[in-house]
Amino acid sequence: MSGKVEAGAAGVAGRTYPPVTFQIEPGRVAAFARAIGADPEAGVPPTFAAVYSLGVTGPQLFGDPDAAVDFARLLHAEQEFTWTRHPRPGESVSSQGHVASDVSRRGMRFVSFETETTDSAGEPLCRSRALFVIRS
Amino acid sequence: MSTRAVTFTKQQIADYAQASGDHNPIHLDDDFAKTVGLPGVIAHGLLQMGLMATTAAEAAGGPDRLRRLHCRFSGMVVPGDTVTFTAEPVGPGKLELRAVNQRGEPVLTKSIAEYLE
Repeated sequence: MSGKVEAGAAGVAGRTYPPVTFQIEPGRVAAFARAIGADPEAGVPPTFAAVYSLGVTGPQLFGDPDAAVDFARLLHAEQEFTWTRHPRPGESVSSQGHVASDVSRRGMRFVSFETETTDSAGEPLCRSRALFVIRS
Repeated sequence: MSTRAVTFTKQQIADYAQASGDHNPIHLDDDFAKTVGLPGVIAHGLLQMGLMATTAAEAAGGPDRLRRLHCRFSGMVVPGDTVTFTAEPVGPGKLELRAVNQRGEPVLTKSIAEYLE
């Protein structure tokens, strides 16, 4: 196996999607906390970033006809979140997604998707880095 | 070291789908999951990561202290599986994270947390 990039498979590397604003609704935060066994009174759980960061930008990638992601064959292989600070319930945040790389090899496609989330003053809150594998 | 064992249920996976907004049918519909080669519904990787983060937050002294989490989703988790989540201090502000199922197979690997001490 050469591991070379298949012809025509450069995909959507480098693409940046428009920023999306999201209101961190306290009831949803509490439901999320209960689902992961966290204290619903202890503020926004760190991995609520799966909602306010990756969760609002991921659908832009999945819905992009040029990206042609087959949702049924999508596997979430790796995830990283880094936080400058954690948002508070009720806060409004803005998230922008970016395709860092999109490579196909050996019948598998690897998409690295990054999202930057900032607060209403434009200060950084969170960065999400997801690695998706799409089986052919 | 903080550790916790969780037995996954279809209800818990459905609750996470609802709370997170990730309604991919591979997590909710057994028949659909089988059409894409899965044994049936599987847990969201991000549900595993959320549970892992809850254990990591305990070890870090509170969720607000977490500054970085990285997980590799290495194994499928299906309803009925019992996964033991462990966060172990390995240096200043660093935790090694492990999640292992009832057969001893790792489901999260190369996973770490960093936190403010």
